[in-house]
Amino acid sequence: MGVKIKMVSVAHSGNSIFGKNSISLSARSAKQCLEDAGLDPCDLGLIINTGIYRYRNTGEPAIAAIIQEKISKKRNNKDDQYNNRSTFSFDLINGACGLLSGIEIVDGLIKSGEISHGMVVTGDSEPFPGLSGGFSFNSAAAAIILSRSDDNKGFCRFRTYNYPEYSDEFSSSTQFERRGTGRKGKNVLNIIQKASYAGYCIDCAVRSLLDFYDESGIKPDEIHLILPSQSPRGFAGMMKERTGMGDNFIELPDKGKKVLHSAGPLFALKKVWDDNRFINSANIIFLTVGSGISVSITLYKN
Amino acid sequence: MNGICQIESIGVKMPEKRLTTAELLDKIRIPCIRRFGLLTGISEKKVCSFDEDSFTLALGAVTDCLLYSRYRADELDMIINCSITKYKNGLSHLYEPSFSTLIKKAIGAEKARTFDISNACAGMLTGVYLAEKFIRQGIIRNCMVVSGEYISSISDNALKNIKTSLSPELSSLTLGDCGAAAIIERTSDSDNGMIITGFTTLSKYSNLCTGRQKRDAPGGIMETRAKKIHEAAIYESVPIVKEALERNCLSLKDITWLIPHQTSRSSIISGANHYLKCFGETPGHIAITLKETGNTASTSHFLALYRYLNEKRFTEGDYVMLLCFASGLIIGVVIFRMNKIVYRYGR
Repeated sequence: MGVKIKMVSVAHSGNSIFGKNSISLSARSAKQCLEDAGLDPCDLGLIINTGIYRYRNTGEPAIAAIIQEKISKKRNNKDDQYNNRSTFSFDLINGACGLLSGIEIVDGLIKSGEISHGMVVTGDSEPFPGLSGGFSFNSAAAAIILSRSDDNKGFCRFRTYNYPEYSDEFSSSTQFERRGTGRKGKNVLNIIQKASYAGYCIDCAVRSLLDFYDESGIKPDEIHLILPSQSPRGFAGMMKERTGMGDNFIELPDKGKKVLHSAGPLFALKKVWDDNRFINSANIIFLTVGSGISVSITLYKN
Repeated sequence: MNGICQIESIGVKMPEKRLTTAELLDKIRIPCIRRFGLLTGISEKKVCSFDEDSFTLALGAVTDCLLYSRYRADELDMIINCSITKYKNGLSHLYEPSFSTLIKKAIGAEKARTFDISNACAGMLTGVYLAEKFIRQGIIRNCMVVSGEYISSISDNALKNIKTSLSPELSSLTLGDCGAAAIIERTSDSDNGMIITGFTTLSKYSNLCTGRQKRDAPGGIMETRAKKIHEAAIYESVPIVKEALERNCLSLKDITWLIPHQTSRSSIISGANHYLKCFGETPGHIAITLKETGNTASTSHFLALYRYLNEKRFTEGDYVMLLCFASGLIIGVVIFRMNKIVYRYGR
């Protein structure tokens, strides 16, 4: 038995001044994903949210529970579905590598027979609009549904590589600051990204990828697609050159000064999902890189 | 019972600074909440000093846990941080890198995989749920589940906002700070292993308790419809607990210790009365441990276990049920038999 991707969906705020809210965007992508997959909310045994920068820095309940409610509420008027007791939701936070951590958990639960379908949702937006320094991420969200499959294909190997010597290269936190003429205090999000961060991310990702090839016994020329993180800026482009994968290393075009953060790999997946390159590729690698520095890699077989 | 995991060790870090309920209520001049202490059963709680925060509490708990453990830090396979609050350097909320990454680096747990989760007050038990899944799949053999809750800022902010006894921020006054950690490991003694079951999110109740960072003040704010969420939790948990017991050929009276999430004495007692009506029987003991600590959010079950272990209240073989209720609404059940851990505490 394997675990395969049933559907992927993305949502972004576009040029709208409204809807730049990670929770609404995440719920929108989750709802679309569910509809496209032809599933009901109660079919999902697990919902994991892996977004990092959350609207108003909501602490509780878990964003996943709010998403669960938003996708259940309008879709199902039937009491038996709305009152379902079959779904468990929680948030997982692991920087840009959280997405693959969430997918690994869903994969494990499906393989062990505990659930048949699970969803991972991820989305970021500026927690308090206008109250941040260095926030260079697009307001965007994406959702992926994984389902049980009768063949042995799908996700087959998950690995995470850590480089704690670079843990100071990227950090983000809020500080209470007094700003403006009235000197009223506000919680301000400050993102500190050293100039050397992107370079170290590339070095760590290349080292990790080579280790992954060694450990899994797969050769680089057997990989047909790589779906990577789209941040930090320049990461995907430089990795494309370093791996020599050309157009099969999916780099999304920059939109203005901002980049996709935790949802980046799913936006890359959506692109190749829609143009059928995903389904026509035998071996696909998902590669995420984030603060820590951590690199997560998984192999997917069609 | 047929579990494959057990609790190998538990550690706790409590702040030294005390805040009594009398001192807390002195800051509010509303006569009708003078019975707050009587209803909640909280006489004092521990709160962070200027040099303490979620991270120092989590790290302190991890250090304490390792003192009781036969594992060294470099033998840990996984670290899951489960706190709601992620305050480091005071009330500065850390987004990236994750707390678990920083804990790993601080203790030298070189081979440990790390990630954080957030699931309101069900955080640590969700961590146990995940640890068990990874151990069952053979991916890891042990896992440190940790949480540091510097959550009393919510109480401080509520003091400024509460004007009547009907304020949705009233429950915020129960919150106290604490760090807790536990090592979960694979065991061959399946009769005493942990049964982790019924973990469910009933999202139609997700708006009954919400917490977020305050925009214009340090720390957070929490709004709770306390009566409604309590009623929903008690009512909805009955079939989940029943199923958990039946699956393991147990009845409620077989449970020696029922440890619910520690919200307030009156809600725990009213929950116990409802269970008596529904089950027709009661567990041996129901733990109420919040008198000197308050509601310590995601750490409350492990704080209760740690305290009772040190007070030598448990006996090897006792059936223990950890019952989690949390914003979401999350309900989950963990059942296990006390193992030889009872001999390592309270000496």
